[in-house]
Amino acid sequence: MRALWTTVYHQAMVILGSTSESSADISSDPARSYSYTVHSGSSEFDFVEIPPIRSESRVLKTCFSSVPVIEQWELSQKYQELGEALSEMITLEGADEWRIEPSVYHAASYVAAKLMEDLVPAPQIFTHGPESVVFNWSDHDDNLYLTISANEISALISSPQRITRRMDYSGNQLLNPSHLLPFAHSGRPIILISRSDTDLPEFIE
Amino acid sequence: MGCGRIPDGDSLFRHCIHPVSFSRKTFALEKFIHLRRESDDSLLGSLVWERFVPTVRHVHKRGCEMAHQRNEKERARGTFKEKYRSVYCGAYELKANSVRALVSAENLDEVSSADVIHHIEGGEIAHTDLRIFLKPGSHVEATKTAIVASLWNAFSGPLFHKCVCDLDIDPHPSINLPRPPAGEYSDERSWLLRLWCLIRFQICYRFWRIFYEAQSNI
Repeated sequence: MRALWTTVYHQAMVILGSTSESSADISSDPARSYSYTVHSGSSEFDFVEIPPIRSESRVLKTCFSSVPVIEQWELSQKYQELGEALSEMITLEGADEWRIEPSVYHAASYVAAKLMEDLVPAPQIFTHGPESVVFNWSDHDDNLYLTISANEISALISSPQRITRRMDYSGNQLLNPSHLLPFAHSGRPIILISRSDTDLPEFIE
Repeated sequence: MGCGRIPDGDSLFRHCIHPVSFSRKTFALEKFIHLRRESDDSLLGSLVWERFVPTVRHVHKRGCEMAHQRNEKERARGTFKEKYRSVYCGAYELKANSVRALVSAENLDEVSSADVIHHIEGGEIAHTDLRIFLKPGSHVEATKTAIVASLWNAFSGPLFHKCVCDLDIDPHPSINLPRPPAGEYSDERSWLLRLWCLIRFQICYRFWRIFYEAQSNI
């Protein structure tokens, strides 16, 4: 059984001022299995970089090459597409099988907004009738489903062999939907990259 | 009108038809199974039975016909919009016993009975009902998701297809249909059995058309 998400770390960037001992090399830390050097430059802030200086995303992509890296704008864009998809599902003419009730749309939009705030990767969606919409995250053949009705929310985790877990919640628990998602991601860490030079990326494990 | 009990090992197919504007990036198109609530509180879905779509070519022919019929229906209503034009992308296969097994599926206690029943509907001989009864007091929407999750694990495929009328769509959404956990579809019938299935279908279909046209003319 996969471990639940229990810990959130803030992975700080090494940002040095120009007056620091920037000329010294910092050798690799065997405990961490990656190496880094400090580069001294003429800009106000020096960045740890492997190889040449670029944005912090390149450093993290190199250090954690097997870890999905998501840029914040990408996350926002995916949730925007999700919102547009939900809007389409209440305004569809014809294709009645895909239509959802307005109350379901509002509940799903609220949940999506909360999930985005909590930096949960955007799900895919589907429906099996007008009274609910399902948010779906897939990791290879494992699936997490969040069924959102007007007043209720249910979570379901499925492996290729069987349904492994189900949880039902009342409408009040819509206030914190992210807490209902122990498996909101595959369990692998993701790194969120911010465009801002001053924002620290968050390492979510 | 139907043909009696569908044998456990027989294949059924679910067609993937959706509005052309629905992007695979946002929608899990492969998991869409419309389960409507009936007056007897059962959940009803639609499949087609291999006995009356004996080859993959027949499966796709039926899929294209269904998409075309939906578009024509919208045109007749005056509600057709090109961006919501129904497009047939392909099909997934599952066995009749996978549906019946829902009754004993783990973490799916709400299902009291589940079956596939041949039911000719709208003049379509291959149409089959997927009918599921739930126990009283079940949370219907959550149970529907659990049913979809269980069935998804049992599907094989996809069988990709582009209808002739949709060749202008580029890229065609069929390329995005994912492989389900049970893997690719494989027709395990011997060539002799396939030949027999084809002959049987042709005979049944011709008799059905004569009967159906006679009924329509009354």
